[in-house]
Amino acid sequence: MADTPAGKLFAGRCMFVAILLTIIFVQLMPLDALPRRWPWPDFMLVATLVWVARRPGFAPFWIIAVIFLLADLLFQRPPGLWAGLIVILTETLRKRTANIRNMPIGLEWGTVAVGIISVTLIYRLVMSVVLLPQTPLGPTLIQMGMTILFYPLVVAVAHLIFGVSRPAPGQVDNLGHRL
Amino acid sequence: MARHDNSDDFIGPVRRLLVGFVVFLLLGTFLIWRIDSPRVERFRLAVIDRVVPSFSWAMAPVTGVVDLVSDFQSYQQLAAQNDDLRRELQQMKAWKEAALQLEQENARLLDLNKVSLDPKLTYVTGVVMTDSGSPFRQSVLLNVGKRDGIIDGWPAMDGIGLVGRISGVGQNTSRAILLTDTSSRIPVTIQPSGQKAILAGDNTLNPPIEFLENADLVRPGDRVITSGDGGVFPPDLLVGQVALGKDRRLRTRLSADYGRLEFLRVLRAQPHEDIFDPGGLLAPELPTQDQDDG
Repeated sequence: MADTPAGKLFAGRCMFVAILLTIIFVQLMPLDALPRRWPWPDFMLVATLVWVARRPGFAPFWIIAVIFLLADLLFQRPPGLWAGLIVILTETLRKRTANIRNMPIGLEWGTVAVGIISVTLIYRLVMSVVLLPQTPLGPTLIQMGMTILFYPLVVAVAHLIFGVSRPAPGQVDNLGHRL
Repeated sequence: MARHDNSDDFIGPVRRLLVGFVVFLLLGTFLIWRIDSPRVERFRLAVIDRVVPSFSWAMAPVTGVVDLVSDFQSYQQLAAQNDDLRRELQQMKAWKEAALQLEQENARLLDLNKVSLDPKLTYVTGVVMTDSGSPFRQSVLLNVGKRDGIIDGWPAMDGIGLVGRISGVGQNTSRAILLTDTSSRIPVTIQPSGQKAILAGDNTLNPPIEFLENADLVRPGDRVITSGDGGVFPPDLLVGQVALGKDRRLRTRLSADYGRLEFLRVLRAQPHEDIFDPGGLLAPELPTQDQDDG
């Protein structure tokens, strides 16, 4: 089934959805209720960005919108704001995929880091504009930094385990379309 | 993306329109939530009510395995643990004797005073299904809800101390905001000095004590119990002990074991009886009207 291009696309999307749902699932597990000093990175955001930068076809915007809205609802965040910002971020990245494909990994990392920082800042800005209680600044910045630091790691994992890599220049799919 | 297809000119704008629509929808949801929060929160609870119980079949074994591994690590020090437990048991026996004597004495004194204890605090026990999933919010989801008669604002305890309060009730699930959450504020009394204060969660394990009138009367080790001020929260539930933090602030070492929240008791707190009548004047009976005229 995964031999036809449509099947491959479908399988890739299913895998993307499965990975995001697994991340939600793991974060919800009631292992301990202790507040931790070092917040973990935002794995959902990193995974999404890796997929969008490397194989945008596997991560269509409607999947991102639905799953991030679900995460907003489950994680007690203001519903819709983070999801909306992520969709905007991934769409701007998607427009640049053609350029990102030819970048060295460092430059790609930089582009994504700028995206993460701006989306975090805009999120905080909007929260303060509509007078919502904010999460403390320190841990938020730490989480943002961790998210950026984890990007190459997730790229490696996605490449080695899930086979999500940049298409080589001139690579074509089975029907001869350029990827 | 079909970049080099002829259909590109056709798909591009439609797709852009769709993306714009979805973003508009998401941000619109946020604005509606900001304007009319209760309705959207009810929607959120309905979604959680639907989604999370379907997770639980997978969540239970995974959590079990992880707990097993962490338990196994503790089994490695089994011999040392056994010694510790034996020593503790010795001490406990002495305590038990003391407790029995105190209980008898207490019963005698209560009998002398003709005190009737308050039978109001009964409870519903729920199982913790998930935690909040975010490092910035401290709450747990319980598997009891409206179906079991849970009401917003009821306190949740583990076997020993207060854990949090119910905030958000779905049909089958309810959310308990822990005392460590940044939005948690509980009125407390510090015994034995009787000082009133507010326990304000700040996302650390030991929440600070705020609005204390006279900090000199409070020493580390004093007991912290809820005061019931404001009439929202029932009084006299054990919270923890006062401790002095590294930053020289008075904090609370919580009695509840936050490392293993598994079962929580949700207390059926009765609402306070309010006194509406300002109290009549106690006076001799007034003379009637016709006597005044005459």
